[in-house]
Order: sequence, then structure tokens, then C-alpha cells
Amino acid sequence: MSSPADNSPSIDDLLERYLTLLDEYTKLRASLTALQSTIYQDIARANFAAERGVRFGQDYYDARMQASRKVGIRLSESTPPQHPVFSVIACAESDEPASDVKAETETDAEIEADEDEKTPKQKKKKKPTNDPLRWFGGALSTPTPLRHAQSQAIQAVEDLVPRLATVSAAMAAVEVEVRRSRKRRAKAEAAAAREKEKEGERGMEREKEGVTQDEHDGGAVAVL
Amino acid sequence: MSTQEYKDRQFLAVIGDEDSVTGLLLAGIGHVTSPPDSQKNFLVVDNKTDNAAIEAAFERFTNERKDIGIILINQHIADRIRHVVDSYVKAFPTVLEIPSKDHPYDPEKDSVLRRVRRLFGE
Repeated sequence: MSSPADNSPSIDDLLERYLTLLDEYTKLRASLTALQSTIYQDIARANFAAERGVRFGQDYYDARMQASRKVGIRLSESTPPQHPVFSVIACAESDEPASDVKAETETDAEIEADEDEKTPKQKKKKKPTNDPLRWFGGALSTPTPLRHAQSQAIQAVEDLVPRLATVSAAMAAVEVEVRRSRKRRAKAEAAAAREKEKEGERGMEREKEGVTQDEHDGGAVAVL
Repeated sequence: MSTQEYKDRQFLAVIGDEDSVTGLLLAGIGHVTSPPDSQKNFLVVDNKTDNAAIEAAFERFTNERKDIGIILINQHIADRIRHVVDSYVKAFPTVLEIPSKDHPYDPEKDSVLRRVRRLFGE
């Protein structure tokens, strides 16, 4: 319920919103935990099935890697208080936002299919793909569990992580608003208490004046 | 909150154990800036990594670099620099603690849930 004086929501409204966000945060946390445990299992499976001494880890990272998924941040336009909204989007190799992951995969497949038809000169012109699976042996020799881990990781990064970041930011914004509202309420209560005190003092003064007047009138009657 | 604060923050950063970092890099978030800087947006932490190195990476991602939007850090690693993580209050980049293979997520240690307890006066 909004107070008539201003349009700011009441503390109860804010706390209700906060608890809704907390519920969403907890659910997203559970989903991320489940998804990550699948990723770890897949990586462990890939390592187990790999040749002796091979471990899919930092030894294989490309030292010139370029991000193919980037963060986008904007401010919320809906319910106040305003907070940042995070998103993670797949980018094309030329650093322009891609429409979706599927488009990127199709391009890769097309490039591979056309490879035989192209002359060596044309091949040189082609930019190397950004797919991290290539660090671990290319699209064909990559173990299936690692590919599965990649698809799960993409889901985590594109969906759960930005949503968790957004909910966390929204919670922080509501926290600030709750604290402000609490301060406002405390100030209003203190002002009301002072006003009441003053009112009481005025009342007592009026009573005193009344008594003095009575005494004065009483004295005048007695004299008459 | 001005647009300037977040408009260039386009990367995710990770501080985690090898499997956590590998998993997230598979999703395509890894980025190394052009030479001579060649700054990575991730840190692989193992038993030999000292806390000062973790703290330095956290400091670099949160204060020095202006191109990081979200930092993912394994919760057990965040525990090693808990005083720094808990005293971090900026809106950008946002910090999220994630579980690792050997250390499941503990809500008691989560900085967001600690904020919740503070708000309700616990």
C-alpha cells in the first residue's frame, strides 16, 4: 500500500517483494548447483576415458582465446527500485552479436563441408573458429562427455548466471529501499512523538492557565 | 546509476579450481586481451596458489579492469579471501559464488544470504 504523501511503496510491500526475490534466488541456486554437478561429472567422465596422462584442463587452454559469450547490462524499467539487469549473449566471431548459438553451429558445419572445395589460398583467409572444444582436439576427436559438458555450461552461463546476478542486484536495490523506508518511518515516529509531547505540554499549560483564571474569578466572586 | 558505470563491462571472469574454470571456458567466456598486456579473465586456483594471488586477481577483476561485468568465484575459494569478498559492495562487477566439484554450495556462507540475515536483523 502506498502512502498518500509520496508514491514510494510501504515496508511491507518491499519485504514481500524481497521474499519473492529470495525465493527465486534460492530456486536458481538449486538449478545452478544441479547443472554444475552435471558439468563436473561430464568433465570427470571425459578425463577418465581420455588417453593416459591426458587431462582436459588448463594445459590445453588457448593462450589467445577470445570470448564468444559476452555480458550485456541495462537498467530495469519495470517495478521500482531500479536495478541492473544482466544478460549473456553469444557473439559472432567478428565481435558482432549473433542471433543465436544454432546459427553459429550451422556456420561452422557449412565451413567444414565447403573445406574440400576451397583452394589452399581461400583456406588461409578463413578465420579460426572460437569454439573452445577445438583446444581439446577439435570437433571430431572431442569426447562426447566434454561436448555434453559444453552444452550444459552454455545453459548455465546464458540462462542461470545472468538471472542469478539480476536477482541478486534486485535484492540489493530492495535492501537499500527497505533501509531508507525504515529510516523515514523512524524519523516520522520521532517527529510524531515530539509533536505529541509538545501537544501535551501545551495542554498542561492551558490547564494551568484555566486553573489560574478560575482562582482569579473565584477570588473576584468572594470579594463581591 | 550512470550508463558509464556498466556500458563497457562485457566479460565474465572466473576464479576457480581447474574443473570449474574448464567448464565455464567451454561455454566461451574465456578472453585474453591483446599483447603486450595479455590479461586473462580467469584464474585457476589449486593447493599451491596462495591467498595473496587470489586476492590480487579479485582486486584486478573488481577494481582495475573496467570490462568485467560478472565475477564467478568458487565458494571455497571465496572463503579463503572472505574478508575481501564480504566487504565488496559495488554494483559492478557483480560477484556470484558458485559451488565446485569437491565443495558443495553452502547457503550459510553465501554473501547474498548473509545480506538477507542482516536485513532481518539476525
